[in-house]
Amino acid sequence: MKTTQIIHEDGDHQWLAIVRDPARPAHLIDTNEYLVTHGGQGMLLDPGGVEIFPAVFSAVAARFDPAAIGEVFASHQDPDVISSLALWLEFNPALRCHVSWMWSAFIPHFGGQPSNFNALPDEGATLSLAGLPLQAVPAHYLHSSGNFNLYDRQARILYSGDIGAALLPADAQGLYVEDFASHIRHAEGFHRRWMGSTEAKRSWCERVAALDIDLLCPQHGAIYRGEDVHRFIDWFDGLQIGVLRG
Amino acid sequence: MGAAAAEPAGPALDLLHIVRINEEIKRVVAVAFRINIMALNAIFLAKRAGSAARGFGVLSNELRNFSGQLRETMQSLDSLIHAAVGEVSSLLLESRYAGILSRVEVAADRGRVRSRVSAALAAREARLGAHRTRLAGLRRELRSTIDDAAQLVDLGGVLAKSAKIEAAYGAAFAGPLAQVSGEFDGIVREIHDSLGALQKSGFLRTRS
Ligand SMILES: [Fe+2]
Ligand SMILES: [Fe+2]
Repeated sequence: MKTTQIIHEDGDHQWLAIVRDPARPAHLIDTNEYLVTHGGQGMLLDPGGVEIFPAVFSAVAARFDPAAIGEVFASHQDPDVISSLALWLEFNPALRCHVSWMWSAFIPHFGGQPSNFNALPDEGATLSLAGLPLQAVPAHYLHSSGNFNLYDRQARILYSGDIGAALLPADAQGLYVEDFASHIRHAEGFHRRWMGSTEAKRSWCERVAALDIDLLCPQHGAIYRGEDVHRFIDWFDGLQIGVLRG
Repeated sequence: MGAAAAEPAGPALDLLHIVRINEEIKRVVAVAFRINIMALNAIFLAKRAGSAARGFGVLSNELRNFSGQLRETMQSLDSLIHAAVGEVSSLLLESRYAGILSRVEVAADRGRVRSRVSAALAAREARLGAHRTRLAGLRRELRSTIDDAAQLVDLGGVLAKSAKIEAAYGAAFAGPLAQVSGEFDGIVREIHDSLGALQKSGFLRTRS
């Protein structure tokens, strides 16, 4: 089973990180899932792949009623992001999945009816979780061509999906980035190869640098906090991307 | 990456068998189509031979009826196989999801969530059961349709042999008539062998 850690708490407004599954088979990439709760309602961010559903569900259920998860945010269309959708729908058939308009006809291959999907326009949208505004921030081409981050202004948290992702070695499994310089080595190759558009990266860095962010939470690897958030944005801004090797 | 560990079993093995059955049926259907054309040729040939080949003419009509019936049987085999592939695919998907759901662990004090997980599992199991029942029914139907086809082909064999004998009375047409009836006999044998192989198929022999 995965472990859950509260990374933000303000009354019933919480952010839960569901991380590090020791039982996960080695051939599946490790993922972080995040659950935002507010007013008794939950939104699950990138609920993960179908094979790790038991680990995520069990971890979530230990803290929160899965039937109160009425919404899912899918940063993009990858199987490690959203292939578990059919099983989450089993616990709430009215579940709404927010995803780029580009993927709203692809993701139903993982399950769901048209009524389960909210197609996000390219410019993004403000979602509401029991009155809590959550901003879908455009992050197209980083890496998916229809890609969003989710920003919680009140909690000052940005869920960044694959941006900031690091494939960490077994001896560096902490929840937060502790030493930026050594951490970022595990993120570099991934960002060079997976991220395809320098122009899109430039505009993302500008957009995100203007936001007030305490925690930048990626789908893989450790969370950037405090100074490391801007360290990451600056590092990414200067990184040469869209290269096969090197 | 142990390839030996990936030996299919259960529904996956069924699917493999069904695919093989389907290939065999496709072969038989193609042959049955050839028979129909041959029967038509035989009828024209008998007409030209006139009174010299009256007996052959009657038989070639029978052969034409036979090929029509054979085609109908093959069509129902085809739709049975199609339905079986659908059931097996659903079985594979449902059992994968049921397996995943059964790995969910919910603490004893989370009563509501636990009962929801059990309900979801029970619903999956019920659907699995329904697919299994339908698949068993299809298996029985397939078995009996293949047996019917085998009987029909035995009759076709008798007709082909009689046609060979009648061909001998075809006077000037005896040569071509013998050739046609000989081809008939060959094809009927071919179908007979294919059906024999189908009757031995692992999917059909499974008890359920
Ligand atoms: Fe991805
Ligand atoms: Fe990812």
